[in-house]
Amino acid sequence: MAEAVTQIKVPVPPPELQRVPLVQNNRSFGWISDRVSAITEGKAPKWWWAAFIPSFGFMCLLGAMLIYQITTGVAVWGNHHPTMWGWDIINFVWWIGIGHAGTLISAILFLLRQRWRTAVNRAAEAMTIFAVMCAGIFPAMHVGRVWFDWWLFPIPTSNALWPQFRSPLMWDVFAVSTYFTVSVLFWYTGLVPDLATMRDRAKTKIKQFIYGLFALGWTGSNRNWSNYEKAYLILAGLSTPLVLSVHSIVSLDFAVSQLPGWHTTIFPPYFVAGAIFSGFGMVLTLLIPLRSMCKLEDIITMRHIDVMCKVTLATGSIVGYAYIMELFIAWYSGSLFERFAFINRAMGPYWWGYWLMFCCNVFVPQLFWFKKIRNHLAIVFILSILVNVGMWFERFVIVVISLHREFLPSNWGYFAPTWVDICTFLGTFGLFFTMFLLFMRFLPMIAVSEVKGVTPQADPHHPLAKGNGGNH
Amino acid sequence: MSQPNVSNPDDAKLLPPLDLSKWRKLPGQLMAIGGLVVLVGLIVSWRQPEEHSLKAFGYSWLLAFMFYLSLGLGGMFLVLVHHLFDAGWSVATRRFCEHLASLLFPWLAVLFVPVALLAPKLFGWMTVADPKADHALYAKLPLFTVVGFYVISAGCFGLWWLLANRLKYWSLRQDETGEALCTFKMRMHSCWGIWVFAFTLTLAAIMWMKGLQHQWFSTMYGVYYFAGSVWLTLATVYIITMVLDRQRILSQVLHEHQFYFLGTLLFAFTVFWAYVTFSQYFIIWNANIPEETFWYVIREQGSWFYIGMVIIFGHFFLPFLSLLRIDVKHTFPVMVPLCLWAWAMHFVDLSFNILPVYYDHGFPFHILWLPLGCLAFMGGLLAKVFLKEFAGAPPFPRKDPRLVEAMGLYHPVPTQISGGELDQADDMPDATIQPKGNQ
Repeated sequence: MAEAVTQIKVPVPPPELQRVPLVQNNRSFGWISDRVSAITEGKAPKWWWAAFIPSFGFMCLLGAMLIYQITTGVAVWGNHHPTMWGWDIINFVWWIGIGHAGTLISAILFLLRQRWRTAVNRAAEAMTIFAVMCAGIFPAMHVGRVWFDWWLFPIPTSNALWPQFRSPLMWDVFAVSTYFTVSVLFWYTGLVPDLATMRDRAKTKIKQFIYGLFALGWTGSNRNWSNYEKAYLILAGLSTPLVLSVHSIVSLDFAVSQLPGWHTTIFPPYFVAGAIFSGFGMVLTLLIPLRSMCKLEDIITMRHIDVMCKVTLATGSIVGYAYIMELFIAWYSGSLFERFAFINRAMGPYWWGYWLMFCCNVFVPQLFWFKKIRNHLAIVFILSILVNVGMWFERFVIVVISLHREFLPSNWGYFAPTWVDICTFLGTFGLFFTMFLLFMRFLPMIAVSEVKGVTPQADPHHPLAKGNGGNH
Repeated sequence: MSQPNVSNPDDAKLLPPLDLSKWRKLPGQLMAIGGLVVLVGLIVSWRQPEEHSLKAFGYSWLLAFMFYLSLGLGGMFLVLVHHLFDAGWSVATRRFCEHLASLLFPWLAVLFVPVALLAPKLFGWMTVADPKADHALYAKLPLFTVVGFYVISAGCFGLWWLLANRLKYWSLRQDETGEALCTFKMRMHSCWGIWVFAFTLTLAAIMWMKGLQHQWFSTMYGVYYFAGSVWLTLATVYIITMVLDRQRILSQVLHEHQFYFLGTLLFAFTVFWAYVTFSQYFIIWNANIPEETFWYVIREQGSWFYIGMVIIFGHFFLPFLSLLRIDVKHTFPVMVPLCLWAWAMHFVDLSFNILPVYYDHGFPFHILWLPLGCLAFMGGLLAKVFLKEFAGAPPFPRKDPRLVEAMGLYHPVPTQISGGELDQADDMPDATIQPKGNQ
């Protein structure tokens, strides 16, 4: 066995391997508070209005489409035999997927002690909540008679109705509602110290009252912090299995059936990886322009972009493995129906959808192997959009292409969305962006207290820690 | 930035060295005893009637081989992810993971020879007279042909050799030069390596394990074998790290974090394995398609049902509940038995996959000595090779640029909430010093 060494020289990392600080330019605590709070204080900038007004318009469009659908019926959508699930389920799964990155960043990366999460977790959590809200609309509408949605919950009625617990769609109800509830709680818990900062900075009594109300009397005492950190850790522990369970259960909507293309054992981890992939795609899409417009480059640094690109690459590669494995096992199984399902995906009437999915989700993220690409904001922004496009088409492939050709050719059909499908989908973007823009105007979009914790002066050993760190 | 010198680790943090004098001969003893058992098993198995001849030996050997293949592939995975994630904490344990990965070639390739020779007896599809008459086999042509089997096998070992060799070469070179170039080269090899690793592991699991019942198929199978393999390797890495720490070989470069992180990863893979295994079972059970369910139906016959229960409770619930607490992850008296238990459970899990093909009425307790003998023989041989390799190179990558982080000398973050370390206090003056692996 090799001999023990009695004295070693610790190598210092060469310049090209030095870790880049998480907050650049030695920013003080006071600067961080000022910069983040500035987004919510003062007048809204023009770009905010330029984004808010069309978003709000699209949100109104969503309202109009839902009213039209409720008053007319599900037939206003393109769903028809044999494609009884169409854009509604695609959009549901897509939005739920996007809603994964936030809690992943907040909970799992917290438990894994990934310090870089602090700059992006708040915005990502908000994104999660709004994405889940958008997702929830579709299955609620898809049932047809929206006024009976409450039957989905296990509430005893005079008709002795009880939900069908063996249906994966019921599992969705519980999985998504639990995920939403815990995500909101987790988000709010993280917000408490920053709400107190907002309260203390507020200039008007109304603001002081509202922020103070939600800050729950936070004083920043040792006891406050101790209780807060315990609560945060427990919520992180509770949220972690939820991140995995929600999309696993969504995948079971498909996988527990016997339908070729759906019945695949790899679906749960494949869906979870895909959800994280698309979630990070959306986080990049949102934060790349926002860091520039809100002048947050020293907080959301290129290191953060770099790391998020790497997570996108990792999850995209897992998704790629799953695609290849699906194809391989369709061949390996010898099942003629499975083989047909995949040949139909690649060469049937929707071949373009399949290859678009494959290119965007497997080939595009491979570009993130190159540091030059990870460091080029415009390219990363475009690629992040392509990731979201690809993930939407993944759900299109799973839902529409698997359904449109049944076992008997007499049951074949061709699905096309209606204008209501398209407007409803666009409307959810309106809802999503409206909520997000309101969030960033009224709440700190960066976790101020957490970012301060990763600055060098927060280290007790750092010279700046002895009171030179700036104002709190 | 100057180069800090670190000498004389604080002995207060360390438990006393272990007395390993009694254990030095263990690999040789395992080889001798295991070799004898293997020989007896070979003769007994060979003297069986023609249709059973050498089968008992073949399946036992395959089981032991797949067990150690898990260790080699798991070691390779830990090295690959270390480079891909630019990790710091795992520098201290990387060197012996590289040695584990090096076992894949030539040693595991040599141990594969009996499997290759006995393949026609182990893999029913190889002796099907007319593949056209067997749809499940015919559909898999040309992969499931004798030539296909050997080409895939040779290809897997060839690629594993290439990858393990390149990663180790640049790692050892960095010991000499300390160049950043070596880190970049290792990352570059990990880049193509992770894809090669994923597909070769999957192919190996399909050809050598799932192919035992070629009619059965599951897209999850590669992931399942991967999850179990990494779980076993993490348990092994934990024990090796603990021994090297106690013997003062790694103590200067180890921090308590390594034990915490290894324990956390073991916990994560306990859950991941259960998640993958349950998902596969549940989806097949719920869809209830006979082409798939037959695999599980066989594994519910006789004592196999109880083996399934042992796996559920022993492979998941016991380690899951044991590892929930934070402090357990660096408490050696709990972790060491748990890691040894992981070895037992992985063996049982692989038995559940391999042995019902031949012993379809229940677990073959009557001949358990044979797979255990194979396991001992291979374990002794591989341990000897591992120790030789370990002695022939520095015990850790001594000029790795991230070594400073592994040693816990890089403390940018003080608070738990920001992802900092829980035990910062031990570096502060007047702080209470806790020994590693507190008892």
